[in-house]
Amino acid sequence: MADAAATVSGDPRGRPTVLDSLGEDITRIVYPVSACMLLVVLLVSLLSSPSAPSPLAVSIAAATGGGGGSGGGDDIPTALVTALTFVVAVTAATFLLALLFYLRCTPCLRAYLGFSALSVLLVLGGQVALLLLSRLRLPLDAVSFALLLPNAAGALALAALAPASVPIALHQAALVAIAVLTAFWFTLLPEWTTWALLVAMAIYDLAAVLLPGGPLRVLLQLAIERNEEIPALVYEARPVDPRHGRNWRLWREGRQPGADLDVSSTTVEVIGEVFGRNLDSNSGNSSSPQVHGVATSAGDANNSRPRATLAAALSSADSTIAQAEEVPVLREHRVAVAEMSVPLIQPRPERSGEEEEDEDGIGLSSSGAIKLGLGDFIFYSVLVGRAAMYDYMTVYACYLAIIAGLGITLLLLAFFRTALPALPVSITLGVVFYVLTRTLLEEFVVQCSTNLLMF
Amino acid sequence: MTVAAGLGYALIALGPAFSLFAGVVARKPFLVLTLLSSTLFWLISLIVLSGIWRGFLPIKSGTWWAYAILIITSVALQEGTRLVFWRLYKKMEEMLDAFADRISKPRLSLTDKMLISLAGGLGHGVAHAVFFCLSLLTPAFGRATFYVERCSKMPFFLASALIALGFLVIHTFSMIIAFNAYDEKKKCDQIVVPVVHLAAAVMTLVNLAPGGCLIGTPLLLVMAALTLQYCWRVACRRLTEHQHRQLNDN
Repeated sequence: MADAAATVSGDPRGRPTVLDSLGEDITRIVYPVSACMLLVVLLVSLLSSPSAPSPLAVSIAAATGGGGGSGGGDDIPTALVTALTFVVAVTAATFLLALLFYLRCTPCLRAYLGFSALSVLLVLGGQVALLLLSRLRLPLDAVSFALLLPNAAGALALAALAPASVPIALHQAALVAIAVLTAFWFTLLPEWTTWALLVAMAIYDLAAVLLPGGPLRVLLQLAIERNEEIPALVYEARPVDPRHGRNWRLWREGRQPGADLDVSSTTVEVIGEVFGRNLDSNSGNSSSPQVHGVATSAGDANNSRPRATLAAALSSADSTIAQAEEVPVLREHRVAVAEMSVPLIQPRPERSGEEEEDEDGIGLSSSGAIKLGLGDFIFYSVLVGRAAMYDYMTVYACYLAIIAGLGITLLLLAFFRTALPALPVSITLGVVFYVLTRTLLEEFVVQCSTNLLMF
Repeated sequence: MTVAAGLGYALIALGPAFSLFAGVVARKPFLVLTLLSSTLFWLISLIVLSGIWRGFLPIKSGTWWAYAILIITSVALQEGTRLVFWRLYKKMEEMLDAFADRISKPRLSLTDKMLISLAGGLGHGVAHAVFFCLSLLTPAFGRATFYVERCSKMPFFLASALIALGFLVIHTFSMIIAFNAYDEKKKCDQIVVPVVHLAAAVMTLVNLAPGGCLIGTPLLLVMAALTLQYCWRVACRRLTEHQHRQLNDN
C-alpha cells in the first residue's frame, strides 16, 4: 500500500507540486509573531499577580490626581485620557522623525534607535530578569548579574541594529526579544487603559499610513523619493535556514525576462498575479501584452539596480494604467486596483518607518520578503498578554483572531501593493473576539465540558 | 497535580495532533495556513452556537433532553460549517490549479488534496481539543486534582483529555472521508460523516449519568478507532483506483 501511494502521488521525492512551497513567506511571518505572543503569554502567566496593583498603575493614579475610579485609576475617563496622551506623543515623535529624515540627519536617527534598543534591553530586560529570578528562585549573585546583563543587552542591541554583521537568526531573535520586553511592560498597565491604548493605536495607525497628511505616509513618500532606507527596527522575514528556503538574492538576479512568475515567487505576488490574471482573461484585455511588456522591462531593470528605476517604473505603469482603464468594468470590485497589481510585478523596495522601535505598517522588501514593523509585534502581544490575564480561552481566541487579521492584511497587501497598516484589522478582530469569548463562549464551554459533554 | 500531570493531560489530548503536525503539516507551509484557517472556522461556528444558546444557559441539571437538543443543534451547525469549508476549498483548488497551469507545474495531485483535507480536519480537531480541554486545564498544573460529582472514579482532567483525544481523531479523519465523498459524490459516505459525528456526540450524553463516564469514554475511543479504520479503507480504495487509472492511461 505504501508504495502504491508513493507511485501515485508526485511524492516529495519526485516532482514537487505547487503545494510544496506556496505560502512559505506567510508562515515565515506567522511563526515569529506566534513565538513573540507565546513568550509574552508565558511571562505574563509566570509573573503577573492580578490582585496587586502594578507600580505603573499607582503612578498613573498619582499623576491624574488620584481622583475618579476606586481601582487605582482604572476607569474609562482616565483610560481615554491616557490613550489620547500616548497617541499625541507618538504622533509628535513621528513628525519629529520625519523632520529629521527630511534634514538628512541619519546619524541622529541611528543614535536614537540604538539608544532606545539598548535602554529597552537593559532596563526592561533587567527588570524582567529580576522578577523571573525571584519568582523561580534561581540562584544568581549580584556580581554575576551585573556582569551578564549589560553584556547580553549590548550584544542583543548590536544584533538588532546591524543585521549585516550577525547571523540572521540572532538578528531576528534580538528583534523578537525587544518586542517581548516592550509588550510585557505594556501589559503592566491597568486593564481599561490597555484596551483604550490598543484601540487608539489601531486608529492612529490607520490614519497615519493612509491619510495624505499622516506622518507615516509623509515618511514613506520621502523614502521613496530618495530611494533610501529609513533607519528603523523592522522584522524582515528572510529565510532563517538557508537549507529550507531559497537564496533570495540569487533568485532575483537570475530571473528570466519572459517568465514573470515561477515557483519561487512570494505568495503575495502570486495572489496579486492570480487575481490580476483572472480579471485579464475575463475581460479579454487587449492591452495586457503591452502591460506585461512594460512590466518585464521594468522588472529587468529593477533586477540589476534594485532601486534606481523605481520612479521610471511607476511613471510607465501610470501610462499603461491610463490605457487599461478603457477596459469595461467587470462584476468584480476593485478592478482598478487589481489592474494596478498586474504591471507592478516587482514589489516596491521600501515602506513606512516610525519612531524608536515602533514601526507600524506592513509591506514588501526589495527581496520580496514581507516586512512587519516591530510595533505591530508589540501591540499584538500586548493584546494577547492582556487576554492571558483573564483566562487561557481568551488567549486562544485572540491568537486566532490576530493571525486571521494578519492574513487579511497580507491579502490586502497583495491587492494594493503599497504600505498598509497592519494594526487595525488584527486589533479589531482581536478585541471583538475577546469580547465575544468573554461574554458568550466561556459560559457555554464551561457548561458543556464540566458535564463532560462534547461535540 | 503539578506541572508533570498538567503536561501529561495536555499531551494525552494533543499528542497525536502534535505528531501529525510535525510530521505532515509543518513540511508544507500551505497546510499550516489551512490548519489555521480551519481552526478559525471552527471557533467562529462555536461562537455562533454559544450566541444562540446563551439565553438558555445555565441548564438545570435534571433535564437531559435540553442537553440532547443542544448537542443536536451543535452537530448540525458544525456539519453545515464543514459544507461551507468544502465550498471554499473548491474555490481555492481552482485558483491553485490555475496558478499551477500558469507556471507550468503539475496540478494538485490526489495526495495533495487529501493532505489539505487532513490539515483541515486537524484544524477542527485541534480547535476542539484546545477550547474544550486545554483551556480548562490550568488548575491541573497546581497541586491538587478535581473530580466531578457524576464521575467520581476518574479525575475530571483525565476524562476530558480522553474525550478530547477521541474527538480529535474523529474530526481529523472524518474530514478526509467527507472531502472524498463530496469529491466523488458518494451519497453513503456523505451520510456516514454526520452520522458518526452525531453518534459520538450523543454518546457523551452517557456521561450525564452517575458513573457514566466509565462507559462513555471508552465507547467514544472505540468510535474514534472505527472512524480511523473507515478512513483508511476509503483512502486506500481511492489511491489504488487512481493508480490503476493512471496505469491504464499510460
